[in-house]
Amino acid sequence: MAGAGVKNLDPLWAWQPYRPSTEAPWNLPRVGHLYRRAAFGATYAELQAGLKAGPEALLDQLLKGGPGLAEFDAQMASLAQSIARYNDATHLRAWWLARMLHSPHPLQEKITLFWHNHFATSYAKVQSARFMLGQYELLRRHALGRFSELLRAMSSDPAMLIWLDGRDSKKGNPNENYARELMELFSLGIGHYTEKDVREAARAFTGWEIQGTKAVFNAQQHDDGVKTVLGQTGNWNADDIVRICLEQKSAAPFLVAKLYRFFISETAAPSPELLAPLAQQFRNSDYDFGALVKTMLASNLFFSSHAYRTRIKSPVDFVLNIVRGLEGAIDATALAQSLEQLGQNLFSPPSVKGWDGGKSWLNGQTLLFRQNLALALTSTEDARFGRRCDPAALARKYHKETDAELVDFFLHLFLQGDVAAQTRMRLLHYQQQAHKLPAPVYWTQQDSADQRVRSLCHLVLTLPEFQLD
Amino acid sequence: MTANRRDFLKASLAGVGLIGAGSGAPLFLSRTAAAVPAADKAGAKDTILVVIELTGGNDGLNTVVPFNDPEYAKLRPTLRQTPAQVKKINDQLGLHPSLAGFAELLQDNVLCIVQGVGYPNPNQSHFRSMDIWQTASLNENVSEGWLGKALKGLPGAPSFHLKSNNEASPLALEGAPVRVPSIATLEEFQLQLAAASGADKKEQRDIIESAARSNGGPGLLDFVQRTASNTYASSRRLQEIGKNYQPQTPYPNTPLGGRLKLAAQLIDAGLGARLFYVAHGNFDTHATQAPTHANLLAQLSQAVTAFFKDIAARGHRDRVLVMTFSEFGRRAKENGSRGTDHGSAAPMFLIGGKVKPGPVGEHPSLTQLEFGNLKHHTDFRQVYAAILDRWLGVSSKDILGAEFSHAAIFKS
Repeated sequence: MAGAGVKNLDPLWAWQPYRPSTEAPWNLPRVGHLYRRAAFGATYAELQAGLKAGPEALLDQLLKGGPGLAEFDAQMASLAQSIARYNDATHLRAWWLARMLHSPHPLQEKITLFWHNHFATSYAKVQSARFMLGQYELLRRHALGRFSELLRAMSSDPAMLIWLDGRDSKKGNPNENYARELMELFSLGIGHYTEKDVREAARAFTGWEIQGTKAVFNAQQHDDGVKTVLGQTGNWNADDIVRICLEQKSAAPFLVAKLYRFFISETAAPSPELLAPLAQQFRNSDYDFGALVKTMLASNLFFSSHAYRTRIKSPVDFVLNIVRGLEGAIDATALAQSLEQLGQNLFSPPSVKGWDGGKSWLNGQTLLFRQNLALALTSTEDARFGRRCDPAALARKYHKETDAELVDFFLHLFLQGDVAAQTRMRLLHYQQQAHKLPAPVYWTQQDSADQRVRSLCHLVLTLPEFQLD
Repeated sequence: MTANRRDFLKASLAGVGLIGAGSGAPLFLSRTAAAVPAADKAGAKDTILVVIELTGGNDGLNTVVPFNDPEYAKLRPTLRQTPAQVKKINDQLGLHPSLAGFAELLQDNVLCIVQGVGYPNPNQSHFRSMDIWQTASLNENVSEGWLGKALKGLPGAPSFHLKSNNEASPLALEGAPVRVPSIATLEEFQLQLAAASGADKKEQRDIIESAARSNGGPGLLDFVQRTASNTYASSRRLQEIGKNYQPQTPYPNTPLGGRLKLAAQLIDAGLGARLFYVAHGNFDTHATQAPTHANLLAQLSQAVTAFFKDIAARGHRDRVLVMTFSEFGRRAKENGSRGTDHGSAAPMFLIGGKVKPGPVGEHPSLTQLEFGNLKHHTDFRQVYAAILDRWLGVSSKDILGAEFSHAAIFKS
């Protein structure tokens, strides 16, 4: 894919909407790229339809979500009731993964995952599936809305009040945990506040308690004295501190840079000049996050070589791209549990900083877990996933029969055919000579043929290119 | 394991990532005899360092307790450990009651406690301060860790990050000439394949491994390929070792216990492993600290004690050095939630046959605080410098960027 030099990116060009051209045509790799970043991958049929629809129509559809969201939400809400009642974290994880897989609005789930990583709260300390679910609902409600509203609401979110000890923070004895992370991780970034700002702001967050299943403000325990935070003096409360933080110049660039890493690239840190127009737009719109998401996803830069395959797939993306691609109807509980080994246990980020992402996703052990999970999903012999995610059945559905058709089918489905010619030749050779290899005597010809297709699919999923997002 | 088998394993591991960067001949063979220090001295080539990260900020004041200081009781009205509870080091200092194993190690003269460790202008962000400790630098945006840099000077030294499920590879190990593999268990460290026959399996493995061969392509793909090829080769070799390992002492059934047992297994396999990194936590006890802290310290003490006894029984007592560190200690005065907020100076533990036993340096004053935090008198890089120069035998000046006087952690 063509693009301007990394260092000389023109911000004006970068953020203008992408229009297909001879140098940058609307092709299958770009369709796949958009489906990976703005959703969790695509089926073969979705890729073909996206190619026909064109970038504007496809992006519009992804931003709005498909029909049936209200019914879907209602259905999922009824399933969630027992999760809260029985404090069932295992099914809470599976429930969200099922939402990501089946929601008519996958972008909303993807952005919710972004926020989960941003406000990284863990069940390990909260110990309440009800409150974790409540925070998830809060994040999803505001996912594509205003960041300012989300940040305000977070001050009294029960899960957060437990996670960062706000519920124990009282007048005369403030707990600094939330005030510090609000500035360091949620709004400003390190270096844009002082230790004194943290200690003063902590006083403003005192007084929130949890009674039963609700966060309640207890004025008796709130320190309503005068505080000086980030240069502003007054008898500030929680909302005032959020307002003051969002008035800082560093807030918008901090958030925009984080979203840039999520949507555009993990490999090169963007220059302040490149982000400036987006930071300005974000701040001037009272932190309209949906508008920011739209600008990024529609941009020239998003569809350029600067963004293409410049991220490592997160574990969630890795498993969902496989299951969506194979149109599998598998047990989300087993899938959610497998995510822990891959290093992304939903609702249990490793720390309040969230998952580091990027290269840190891959090390010797997690790479092997990924390859072995890909095998478990495609082999049809794994007790957890069974035959409900079968590459051989999928190939039959799309009438792929010859060796070449099969190789190209899986390469298109998972990598949009964008691999070295040599890689394709090796796979084709494997597929051709596999006919001649001995098989167990009790296998029928169909068994052998199906086994070859499943192995082929697994081999495609083990290609290094598939680790890239 | 016989010497021949050990050499065979070393040779087969060289060049695949577990040993050295590989420049043709295995590096351990090309080293001249003169360059090898005598094996009975600290700094000999076969010393082993096990680094234990106490993630989240360990409360040093309640780990090594100045139980007789009247200020201590004032600062810790609900969290204090009484003179009757602590494991006494002397008439002033005691270990947290959960550190019974450490008290035993102290009696055996293999536990060193460096008090009041920190660095100038302490940072109270978990993440920034952890980066400072891991890079051994106060500068921002340093991409190499102190152990990764040390490995550049230790060609042919296999190293391991023993990880838990939700844990990434630490910054401390970045910059190593060959990426340090992260391993959860030996059983899970292998590539599985479903195949119609042995021949089919071989074909599949060939395809997977050839796709992982890097042709120096664009950055991220190259990174994946290097990680993958290194991993496949390592995993193949590691299948040969460590089966049927029988520890000399029982290990606690805890995550840290399991990881240190794996370290013992890898040490005993005779690969020439030099460096292990494990994390234990989370020590970020802002509220209701007492039960969490007691439990974490007990797990630490039990696992390290079992590991050291096991290793010592196998004759490695003087080859092994265990070092603990945390990104910071905690505020001297407890907060209103029966917890403690972020602080600065704290003690470090060093365990090994060659350490100078007992406390090193004074307990920081409880009256002369800095923004409510204990003041450090020993820079953590003084501890690193002693370990780098005297234990690992690599130049601390090159790694730390300056000359740091050695903390007195070794027997002279």
